[in-house]
Amino acid sequence: MNILRSQICSVLRRPLYRQLTTTARPFVPPAQLVFHDNLYVPGAKELDDSTVEALVGETNEQEPEDDEEDPNDDRDKPHPDSPNFYTGRSSYYDNIVELQNAISRTRGTLQRLHLLPLPDFARKSLQPMPTVWKTPEEMTTDFETNMTISRYRRVTTLLNELNEYLRIATTAGYADVADRIGSIISIFESGKKEAFLSRGIRKPVLLDQHGRSYTFGKRKTSAARVWMIPVKSSTHETISDVNVEEVFGLSNEHKRSPVNVTVSTILVNNIPIAEYFPQPVDRERIVRPLKVAGVLGKYNVFTIVRGGGTTGQSGAIAHGIAKGIFAHEPETGLVLKRAKLLRRDPRMVERKKTGLAKARKRYTWVKR
Amino acid sequence: MYFLRPRPSNPVWSSLKSQKFSKNWCRQLSQVQGPLETEDDWTDFQQTRTSLKTLTDAMSQYGSEQTSQWSLRDSLHRPAKDATLSALLASGAHFGHAASRMNPNFLPYAYGTRAGITLIDLDHTLPLLRRAAKVVRAVAANDGQIVFIGTRPDIRPVVQRAAQRLGPQGFHVGDRWLPGTLTNKWQMFGHETVRSKRIIPDLVILLNPIQNMNAIQECALSNVPTIAIVDSNVDPRIVMYPIPANDESPRTAEIITGVLSIAGREGIAIREAELQRMRLAVDTAWEDFHKMHELQGEHPTEDGRPRDSNAVGFDY
Repeated sequence: MNILRSQICSVLRRPLYRQLTTTARPFVPPAQLVFHDNLYVPGAKELDDSTVEALVGETNEQEPEDDEEDPNDDRDKPHPDSPNFYTGRSSYYDNIVELQNAISRTRGTLQRLHLLPLPDFARKSLQPMPTVWKTPEEMTTDFETNMTISRYRRVTTLLNELNEYLRIATTAGYADVADRIGSIISIFESGKKEAFLSRGIRKPVLLDQHGRSYTFGKRKTSAARVWMIPVKSSTHETISDVNVEEVFGLSNEHKRSPVNVTVSTILVNNIPIAEYFPQPVDRERIVRPLKVAGVLGKYNVFTIVRGGGTTGQSGAIAHGIAKGIFAHEPETGLVLKRAKLLRRDPRMVERKKTGLAKARKRYTWVKR
Repeated sequence: MYFLRPRPSNPVWSSLKSQKFSKNWCRQLSQVQGPLETEDDWTDFQQTRTSLKTLTDAMSQYGSEQTSQWSLRDSLHRPAKDATLSALLASGAHFGHAASRMNPNFLPYAYGTRAGITLIDLDHTLPLLRRAAKVVRAVAANDGQIVFIGTRPDIRPVVQRAAQRLGPQGFHVGDRWLPGTLTNKWQMFGHETVRSKRIIPDLVILLNPIQNMNAIQECALSNVPTIAIVDSNVDPRIVMYPIPANDESPRTAEIITGVLSIAGREGIAIREAELQRMRLAVDTAWEDFHKMHELQGEHPTEDGRPRDSNAVGFDY
């Protein structure tokens, strides 16, 4: 009866969750609780056998009844792996430490090779090595921590320094050092590096087997496809065949050797340019790239143009012709760029706004 | 720059002659050159720089002999085993905070005030530091986990190197100590880690206790002994083993942390030596046992039956 009552009382006193998780043990003072066999206190006196037996005996009495391990009992568990365990972000700090070690090792190597510190004239002659690091989102998955701006900046500062050392090593020709740095850097490089570095760079226009260039021009809402092929001088009748001085009756005193100028054709939608563009403004606009580059009679031009009106179509054809000239003769690139002919004119018709008659035109202001 | 005429009989000079030792050499060193284009340009550039070093190395044997050379000690990478009074004074460990901010419980460790600053009595600091070192040595010798906490950027490398010295038993926190690391470990680290690894450390050493009061509180709740560098504006009773010194000086932190981490390394070495001794004792005991057994095996028993050599065998 007493046993039952004491058990029921104990159940009522301690909540159920505590009963299930902890073992019922009598209280023992901490000093007498634990005695390891391999407890070594340097400088402590040896205990005599009787004391040892007594203590061991007490420990045996206090063994937990159940075989389940108390999860709060840490003694036999291994140490955590990373020295940064108590930061709560061990993989992030491990990587930071690895990068710092790599930087200090590389710095030492380059100093021994007399490549550091590098004077300005040598620094200017280093190969450019643009790199694209992983985005903070990609690094979050790698480091298992949320990459805030400050943490990302810390990592990228270290990576940029390592990249500088890579530049120095590759330019000076130390391939083994460069390979080691490269292997570390490649872990942090974005997979979209190639795409990112090649953005904005125009693909070079290639000439096909007949020597034609195929380019595209746009202006306002018009689009023009332009084919250009160099004129073969032997088959065409040249202007030099006709003796200008004889025809006009000019003096023969200052005779210069005639310049061989070829005649070229420009066809727009299979119609000659003079017929398609009756206005001289449009024809001037189309021919301007050829004049600026100085290749007026050199290329035959065939164009298909769609959309827009006269100004748009002539501007589109001019844009296409300029690109075609650049494809045939890259040396003219600077001249065409200065004349702003290679640029797609971004001006488009502005939209009408509410409350206004047109894009900019306001309704008549009324005083009252 | 004035050069001596090279004498061909001297071997040093003849070796130097083979390196481009010309009148323009000095000018080459100091002058700004054009950009380096080929790899040969880079090699020449390196060679110009190496030649100065080679020259000084060759000439050094002709200089005067320095008998008493004082060299600055790198207290981060190679700290001293014991701290001396002069080293602590030189690092400014005796400078406390403003006298108006002095904590009254710090009075036993204060030497006095001067220029409005509390001066810390280093005669108290040294024995307390030795006491703390003994604690670290004992904890490390018993396979204890020791955490170094130093959350300022200038003492971050100090705690990192100290943890490295203790090997697998050393840990460090160089940035903010997340509250709940010890008291909220189940949520912090996950059930798997808490069940499989040792989470609660056996000793915590703090280099800037004022900024890490959360850590001190958690250690107190989790029954973890603490050592800390206490400055004059701090109550020394917040930790178990205070070391009164300047907490703002990185050189003081290097000296103190160096002493403690080297004591920890010694403790690990003692443990290793003890384990080795025990293993050796057990091995020799087994060898003796086997030898005795062989000797007995040569002489048969009274029954006449040969002794079974495997009669006494239990797995070792």
